[in-house]
Amino acid sequence: MRMDRAERIGTGVSAALHIAVIVWAIIGTSLFKPKPTEPVEIKPAGMISEAEFAALQAAAPKPGEAAPAQPEEPAVAEPAPEVPSPEAAPETPPTPEPPPAPEAEPMPDMTDLTDPTPPTEVTEVPPSMMPPVEEPQDTEAPEFSPRPRPKPASRVAPIPSEAPEPDARVSPTAVAETRPDPEAEPEAVQEEPTEEAAPPEATTEIVTEATETEDRATTSAPRTSPRPRAKPPVPRPAPVQTAQPAQPARPAPAVPADAVADALAEAMGDDRGAEDSPGGLGIAANGPPVTAGEKEALVVDVKQCWNVGALSSEALRTSVTVRVDMEQNARPIIGSIRMVGYEGGSEAAANQAYEAARRAIIRCGSDGFPLPAEKYGWWQQIEIVFDPSKMRMK
Amino acid sequence: MVRWILAAMAALMMTAGLAAAQQGPLHIEIDEGVIEPLPYALPSFVDEGAGGLTHDITRVIADDLSGTGLFREIPEAAHIQRFGVFDTPVSYADWQAINAQALIVGAVGMSGGKVVVKFRLFDIYSGAQLGDGQQLAASPQSWRRLAHKVADVIYARVTGESGYFDSRVVFVSESGPKDQRQKRLAVMDYDGANVTYLTDSSTIVLAPRFSPQGDRILYTTFETGFPRIKMMDVGSASGQLLPEVPGTMTFAPRFSPDGNSIVYSLEQNGNTDLFQMSVNGGGAQRLTNSPAIETAPSFSPDGARIVFESDRSGTQQIYVMPVGGGEPVRISFGEGRYGTPVWSPRGDLIAFTKQAGGRFFIGVMRTDGSEERLLTASFLDEGPTWSPNGRVIMFTRESPGASGGAKLYTVDISGRNLKAIEGVGGASDPTWGPLLP
Repeated sequence: MRMDRAERIGTGVSAALHIAVIVWAIIGTSLFKPKPTEPVEIKPAGMISEAEFAALQAAAPKPGEAAPAQPEEPAVAEPAPEVPSPEAAPETPPTPEPPPAPEAEPMPDMTDLTDPTPPTEVTEVPPSMMPPVEEPQDTEAPEFSPRPRPKPASRVAPIPSEAPEPDARVSPTAVAETRPDPEAEPEAVQEEPTEEAAPPEATTEIVTEATETEDRATTSAPRTSPRPRAKPPVPRPAPVQTAQPAQPARPAPAVPADAVADALAEAMGDDRGAEDSPGGLGIAANGPPVTAGEKEALVVDVKQCWNVGALSSEALRTSVTVRVDMEQNARPIIGSIRMVGYEGGSEAAANQAYEAARRAIIRCGSDGFPLPAEKYGWWQQIEIVFDPSKMRMK
Repeated sequence: MVRWILAAMAALMMTAGLAAAQQGPLHIEIDEGVIEPLPYALPSFVDEGAGGLTHDITRVIADDLSGTGLFREIPEAAHIQRFGVFDTPVSYADWQAINAQALIVGAVGMSGGKVVVKFRLFDIYSGAQLGDGQQLAASPQSWRRLAHKVADVIYARVTGESGYFDSRVVFVSESGPKDQRQKRLAVMDYDGANVTYLTDSSTIVLAPRFSPQGDRILYTTFETGFPRIKMMDVGSASGQLLPEVPGTMTFAPRFSPDGNSIVYSLEQNGNTDLFQMSVNGGGAQRLTNSPAIETAPSFSPDGARIVFESDRSGTQQIYVMPVGGGEPVRISFGEGRYGTPVWSPRGDLIAFTKQAGGRFFIGVMRTDGSEERLLTASFLDEGPTWSPNGRVIMFTRESPGASGGAKLYTVDISGRNLKAIEGVGGASDPTWGPLLP
């Protein structure tokens, strides 16, 4: 069978290509194979002996060799700084970075630093010719509450503020004028019963946790004081509508046995509280003793105003005992406040701690303490121990 | 009969108990309070001829007090009473009405070419002046020091501890990119004002330390090519390299509390130990002898002990040892590495740098290592230094990245009131000097 010319050519090309592929497979892969990745050179980290290290150190140039003589004292404040000689610079680490091209720097002004005399002269200012200090009168003082204000709420008001009424427009149709009929009975206004409730606390800005987190991103240290927070205030007992005694009357000797037991419990430090005792058969002229709950209300009231934020560390380690005489309206007699004892710090620290305690009594006592008026005989003098040990920085 | 006797005894006891209860005052104990900045009012001082300095001095006093985080200024717009004359009687009710607890009244004038500041401090709730009024005078160039001194007096009277406003800080001023950082020795007021450069940027300088009197500065310089300790006299601005043993490197110097001796690190033959010598360069004495690296020494305020860092346990930890010799005692045992310990001027705390979990912290601990508290945390915090009254810590905070730089920060030892020192640019290695005279 004869092949025509075209078939012969095709057969020849095919044979040549197959031969070329076979030759490439045999020779080319060995000649042009990809270079393998150079392996990472890993050297074991070994320990060298002290002697070897000393030998290495000895072989290294010594700083004394590099600068054998005591270097010339550089003019510290000269405008043109000296440049260390490259020859003198040792090659062993730590080698300082080559100094950049010196720039002209002005001579430092040392006049303020070099003045040996204290720049200030301190003298006492004579007392001013002021009139005697007057106690603030209730009638003069504007209505305010010096007590700590509640913190702003951290959420937005749920009810948006009311939109203003739209501007009046001219009606397209005329409306006949009317007059109110004077004889007509006014319709009884039906007042819907409103539920008396304090509106929820609200503010105009939402502080999200992300915001706080972002703020804290730079530090994980506690941003708040590790000291304990004050407990929420206990509501004051309702004012007692009883007549005030003309004079602070002492309890009558004849008191019920339960009241005496309460008194004994109080005197002996029993925390049981008078309210836990069974009721008595009668009340003395001043009433029963101050109960544990009433004491707690007083504690909560005073501690709201006891600010130790500006006290020294030593004052925060000092416990002071303060005694104060009370008026019948449960307000402290400011002139009677005195420190009767302290412990844990120096006298100076105690005085600082006492001042903070005194401010607390005056601030929170200005509105009167939450004390039952009928028991005035029991609290006409109060002794308070201010102990900041739980609040101090450790 | 027995029943009658028992009844009589019970009645007697009850009566006695009642009497005891009645005679004593009502006794309560309070162990919780609030921690808030004390609100104070600082009306603009009365201008008695000082012009613009009056307002400037008033604002510096306010910045000092409010900057502590212990005081909160009541804006002047809320004031009810105004003072046109220094001796105007105080209307306490007006100040109580805006809840001011302290009031500062002052005046600024000129006399004999000097600025004269006089002031009085009032306790509003006591209704009385707190301490005596004072009058201070200085040259007009030192008006900021006048303001700082007034603030120091007020701070001391209210808090019961000395102030720290009239003080300076020596630090390393940094400029340029990270790979070509230029460093200069500089001094500034504690609040970053009045920066004065002490050296040029031709040589790397490290770890400057004020002397207890503030008249000299120790620092490490590379001007010989190797770290050497140099002492600069602040008055003459001249420096002197301290003597060295050939073939050694000296660094990390610090003055003793009396200013008469220096403790430092000395590297010799690859080992670093602590040494002590007098400020005139004589009497070098070895304090440690260990194959480990001992460095960053700091004296206790009484000069009896030294705290330092060492890796003798395998990791960098803090040790305390007597100056006169004795075995160092390790006091840090928490996770991570501890370094750069500095003893508080009060003597009760040691500030340190801690590295753990890829972050750096500034913290304080008792001198026995107990009650460790971390005050800050960031990419890189290091090098704490105490304020003269031991209430505030200044340190270096470096931000990450090629464009990052070092800045100075302060933090109260309670961990509150963290803030940067503005106005000094790049800065590191601060050391707080003493309260100025």
